[in-house]
Amino acid sequence: MSEQLAHSSAGTGERPRGLWDDAWDELKRRPIFWISAFLIVLFILMAAFPGLFTRIDPNAADLSRSMESPSSKHWFGLDRQGRDVFARTIHGARASIIVGLAATLVTTLVGGLLGLLAAYLGGWADTLISRLGEILLGLPFVLGAIIILATFAGAQSGAGPVLIITLVVGTLTLLSWPLVARIARSAVYAVKQADYVQAARALGASPFRIMFRHLLPNALAPVIVYGSLMVATFISAEATLSFLGVGLRPPVVSWGVAISEAGSYIRQAFFLTAFPTAFLCITVLAFVMLGDAVRDALDPKLR
Amino acid sequence: MGRYFLRRLLQAIPVLFGTTFLIYVLVWQLPGDPFVGRCGDRVCPEAFVNAMNEQFRLDEPLLIQYGHYIANLLQGDLGLTYNMTPVSDLVVQAAPITLRLALVALAFEVVIGVIAGVIAGLRRNSFFDNLVFVSTLLALSIPTFVLGRFLQWLLGVRWGIITPSVSGDATWGELIVPGIVIATTTTAILARLARTTIAENLRADYVRTAIAKGMPPRRVIGVHLLRNSLIPIVTLIGLDLGTLMVGAVVTEGIFNINGLGGLVYDHVLRLDSTVVVPVATLFVLIYIFANLIVDLIYGVLDPRIRYE
Amino acid sequence: MTLQNGDSGDYSGPLLEVEHLEVEFHTRAGIVKAVNDVSFTVDSRETLAVLGESGSGKSVTAQTIMGILDMPPAVITGGAVRFRGTDLLTLSEPQRRAIRGQGISIIFQDALSALNPVFSVGWQIAEMFRVHRGMSRKDARKRAIELMERVHIPAAAQRVDDFPHQFSGGMRQRIMIAMAIALDPDVLIADEPTTALDVTVQAQIMELLGEIQRDSGMGMILITHDLGVVADIADRTTVMYAGRVMEQAGVFETYQAPAHPYTKGLLDSIPRLDQKGGVLHTITGTPPDLLDTPSGCVFHPRCRFRKDDCLTQAPPLYEVGEGRTSACHYYPEVLDDAGR
Repeated sequence: MSEQLAHSSAGTGERPRGLWDDAWDELKRRPIFWISAFLIVLFILMAAFPGLFTRIDPNAADLSRSMESPSSKHWFGLDRQGRDVFARTIHGARASIIVGLAATLVTTLVGGLLGLLAAYLGGWADTLISRLGEILLGLPFVLGAIIILATFAGAQSGAGPVLIITLVVGTLTLLSWPLVARIARSAVYAVKQADYVQAARALGASPFRIMFRHLLPNALAPVIVYGSLMVATFISAEATLSFLGVGLRPPVVSWGVAISEAGSYIRQAFFLTAFPTAFLCITVLAFVMLGDAVRDALDPKLR
Repeated sequence: MGRYFLRRLLQAIPVLFGTTFLIYVLVWQLPGDPFVGRCGDRVCPEAFVNAMNEQFRLDEPLLIQYGHYIANLLQGDLGLTYNMTPVSDLVVQAAPITLRLALVALAFEVVIGVIAGVIAGLRRNSFFDNLVFVSTLLALSIPTFVLGRFLQWLLGVRWGIITPSVSGDATWGELIVPGIVIATTTTAILARLARTTIAENLRADYVRTAIAKGMPPRRVIGVHLLRNSLIPIVTLIGLDLGTLMVGAVVTEGIFNINGLGGLVYDHVLRLDSTVVVPVATLFVLIYIFANLIVDLIYGVLDPRIRYE
Repeated sequence: MTLQNGDSGDYSGPLLEVEHLEVEFHTRAGIVKAVNDVSFTVDSRETLAVLGESGSGKSVTAQTIMGILDMPPAVITGGAVRFRGTDLLTLSEPQRRAIRGQGISIIFQDALSALNPVFSVGWQIAEMFRVHRGMSRKDARKRAIELMERVHIPAAAQRVDDFPHQFSGGMRQRIMIAMAIALDPDVLIADEPTTALDVTVQAQIMELLGEIQRDSGMGMILITHDLGVVADIADRTTVMYAGRVMEQAGVFETYQAPAHPYTKGLLDSIPRLDQKGGVLHTITGTPPDLLDTPSGCVFHPRCRFRKDDCLTQAPPLYEVGEGRTSACHYYPEVLDDAGR
């Protein structure tokens, strides 16, 4: 009953309204989307232009003022080595955001492409990709990362920030692409047998045309939903790994590193942990909320 | 039924070998001296290097080495720490504590997560549903180590309700707060999944049939709806054992619990992979077996899978 | 609970009586009148066919009778559903529950999704006896096998523990029927029972329904969009369009001389074996948008008998003959029309 109604009202536009138009309409009217979008833009600005938020050098240390409480000059106080916690928290956004976004981007691209290939080529390619994925999924995500990073940990003493971040991003990607590939693969499988794809094939469309014109758009929606929640997972995972001492480490400035460094001083100087922790949680919250909003908008089943 | 079980069992074998092989290559076969950085900040003791070379046949071809590694693993030999203690001894001491902690966490996620999700799914858009939504949002946004640190500080240091450090005995009572910390993320995911599944199944045709058959609401929900909704819920509980184990590493570390996770935590911080890697491998094996068991339960719960 | 007993003494009116029923759906796009002033009756030993396209309100009517309508979005805004003289719409939920399955039963179109996928078919049939009759597991199972035999499922005793997905479409529908007739209901509603099935299987299911109805003497409401399937087993027809009743008549009269242009259109669009080479007619136009129904007679945009007042005045149900009504201002012309 209501389906027919939906059809009749959907048929009135100039061009047929697609999933994306509906999703955007749905997204626009959700406050949770706007709140999360605002926070994410704020954190991305912080990551790209920390100078907009603070002029204090995050590495300038004044040991004589170690662990000074927050004051009007140093809003979040000073850490053990007398560095400004506010500046370090602002500058810490960069590492977290880079790890979260880069790992998500690479994971989505690699996983999406491999899933697409597996579903489209079938046969041995499918077997190879699926088996490899199963093996990697046999490793629980952060635990697998601990093993890999602990193995590399000794070999990289004295490494620069770029190498450290690349290693973390690479590890997270290696362990997560199979999930994306699996989602993309089953999404493609579902549409591969659809009549319109069969028709395109019968009309002599090339495999690449079929893949990019017909299959990709259909695989995209579930991959995007998963991807937006993935950013949150990766930021949280990076902080956890850094906290354990195998993820990011000095000279990289990051929230996880700051929380790890503040370590056992929680009783004497709560503020050392509190501020980076709050930033971390709010960032993760923003991405979880965005993922929620996008998923609800793209998946009309439970509207 | 038997054929389904057999097929799942056979499918788990390549994963088992693949994963252990992967770990093995990572640990012993990367270019360079495998003992560099293996023993924390110092150079590995001669005796340790010799013992490991002996046990793992590091001078033989890769596949033979891997065979020895698997053979050792199957015999419960996980290698030595660099001060020559067998890792398996440490594991035997630590395992019961982690098992107890895992049970506390599991009980919490199943009871709280599933009940909250089911009620939210049955009463969509109610106050309770919104409460569950907001709580799960917060729970998903707080990393386990942050929550652990926070509760330790608040309940242990500020209010003095619990001891910040769990004793060597690790009694059930002491493990309640750490168990909740481990379970929080999964509880939130479980509650959300249960809500979605219940809400979706509530509209299913077979629920309408059950009502049309004149079944009382308690039976429609308790038998027809719940039995179907159980399938994804059980799957998730199984798949999330990985989260449970990582949670164990972080949480046991924070609360100073002498379990398997604490073992990993202590040695990760010292960059000592002689303990980290075998124990993590053990976790991986448990994880794969748990997934296998979930698959089998799945076959029992969903007859459509079994007869495919 | 006197309601569920088949012989509750002095009541002598119709078995089931739907009176001026009105059901609305409150959707985001607006209010939809899905059922608009619908009335009909069913007696024991009688089969009423409710005909109409999808969206005509026939399934909503059936769900209202059963009390399994999703409310919200649906709202019952008027009318009554009397079963043995009692208006079901005024009863409490526990009272209505006692009638479902025992007084009135329903079978749905898609038996695969209507049956619970995780329980064996025997369990699902036996559940009727266990819950309503308090039978033991073992006795209920025995009764389930008997019922499966009753609906002609081969090797019932071996298949009783199989699951719905292991049966063919026709067999699944037989299981649905077995479940619905388990407690000898007074009224059986069959909501498009054969739409999802192959033509040959359709005929078998219809035959089975006819057989059961004759043997048990229950009243049956057969909801369908397919006039072809009802001719043999229905006694009377009610034709619905856009939530309204268009015509009510005996099945013979409906086929011989329809008194409403819509019924006529439906009949003309059935291919007939006895008239070779003729043109197969269709009803022009599209089914009405229920959010924005036409003024006057709802069928006027598609009607070839239309005159000016059809656009402004909604026709009442005219008495056409003995037990015959038609919602057409110009039914005499329709009756006389020798269009076929």
